[in-house]
Amino acid sequence: MIRLHRVTKRFACGTEALRNVSLRVDAGALAFLTGPSGAGKSTLLRLIARLERPTRGRIMVNGLDLGSLARRREPQFRRNIGLVFQDHRLLFDRPVHANVALPLEILGYRRTEARKRVRAALDKVGLLQKENAQPQTLSAGEQQRVGIARAIVHRPALLLADEPTGNLDPELSREIIQLFLDFNRVGMTALIASHNLGLISALGRPVLHLENGRLEARHVTEPRSGG
Amino acid sequence: MKVRGDRAGYLEAWLYNHAEAARRSLWRRARAPGQTLILVAVLGFILALPAYLWLLLDNARALSEGVDHEPRIALYLDLDGDEMLSAVAAQIDALPGVAEVAAIGADEALAAYRASLPDPGLLDWLEENPLPAIIEVLPRERSPEALAAMERQLAALLPEATVVSDHEWVRQLAALHAAGLRVLVLVSALLALGITLILAVASAAELRERHEEIAISRISGATDRFLRRPSLYGGLVLGLGGGLFSLILLGLGVVLTRPPVEEAATAFGIPFTFTGPQARIGLMLLGAGLLLGWTGARLGSAAALRD
Repeated sequence: MIRLHRVTKRFACGTEALRNVSLRVDAGALAFLTGPSGAGKSTLLRLIARLERPTRGRIMVNGLDLGSLARRREPQFRRNIGLVFQDHRLLFDRPVHANVALPLEILGYRRTEARKRVRAALDKVGLLQKENAQPQTLSAGEQQRVGIARAIVHRPALLLADEPTGNLDPELSREIIQLFLDFNRVGMTALIASHNLGLISALGRPVLHLENGRLEARHVTEPRSGG
Repeated sequence: MKVRGDRAGYLEAWLYNHAEAARRSLWRRARAPGQTLILVAVLGFILALPAYLWLLLDNARALSEGVDHEPRIALYLDLDGDEMLSAVAAQIDALPGVAEVAAIGADEALAAYRASLPDPGLLDWLEENPLPAIIEVLPRERSPEALAAMERQLAALLPEATVVSDHEWVRQLAALHAAGLRVLVLVSALLALGITLILAVASAAELRERHEEIAISRISGATDRFLRRPSLYGGLVLGLGGGLFSLILLGLGVVLTRPPVEEAATAFGIPFTFTGPQARIGLMLLGAGLLLGWTGARLGSAAALRD
């Protein structure tokens, strides 16, 4: 699903966020990406979602070489990726269901069908009763779960999450991670950046460790083995 | 990564997306009534002004056509005897493009002149009649070009005659009208450019306000076309509003202008009816409003989405 070959990302300011990183995550796998803050976790995820371009190296996502992906093809490419952010980035000018419906709107779903899928996604994250609430009335954990519902509502093949449990207490964090495990069980490939080592090491899932822009573990072959 | 089912058909999705974008843009405009009204008003002024000036020019032309000016060409000839004069007059009358010919012999002219004097005896000291014979030609066509052509034709036919015509002022009027139109076109073009830029800036500002929504939508795979669509509809809404407002302004202008102008024309002894705008002008104003609104939104959204 994801292949990085000797990828380096240097920002205009001269900072090297990633150095010569090679990585492979097979379809159906779930892997965690850890490392201290500033290690390049976010940059790696952004490169995979093509929100950034590598300075050097090659990135393939689902058989697509991002180096040769034309700018006008980027939207189509992103429609198969779900992104979850630490700060969830909800739109506060519209209710929960409209936030979750955004990717479906872009994909051109019928209103009734979109409504159904939004409800299904909200049900999955346990927030069906909050579909008409305004995001600012929700707790941090609930807001994060709305963000997750939005990321998976269009059933993307690949789910990327950047510190989804960053601001949450251990109990909520466990719930969120459990959600990702559930999505992975039904076939979604997932790469989750988190520095919450205590939580993820107990899960027995592959952990990729980034440090100073360098990666240790490199190949995640393990297809989903239940969990 | 194939597009999965349960999606609307392409056309339906397209229509739905457009309807949704139009609904959103209306909603957004309704939530910023102050800005919307200002933009509609400015667009209305800018559309109404050239239309009003054009209407005045058009009426001025109609007014000048209402003046009874039969552009005659006068030929002054040194001829002996009325037979010669009649023969020449008949020759001219046979020319194509001549509507009417009037011949006035030298004696006849002198008699008329004598009659106009307070003391007819004044002319008795003249040894011979100094006045030439006159042939007045009324051409069928009255355009400056036709008159000039007729003038050349007559001069060629009678090289010894002095040809004088009173069509100069028709040409002057036509030239003034053409100059007025040129100024109007230039002013309109500048106004159109100005309002397009104003609308572009407003549209760009609106998109920048939505930057978070746009960022999230982009991440979810929204195309630029999808993102700017509500702005384009917003531009069309403003354009339609501006067009309608300009119609109201133009109508008001006509109502206020008509009585004094007609009164002035009557004072000059010219029967004249001030003509209001035709449906064609109304449609053109609406069309221009829509075009300017769309263009402004297109430019503004292109600039905002590039950032």
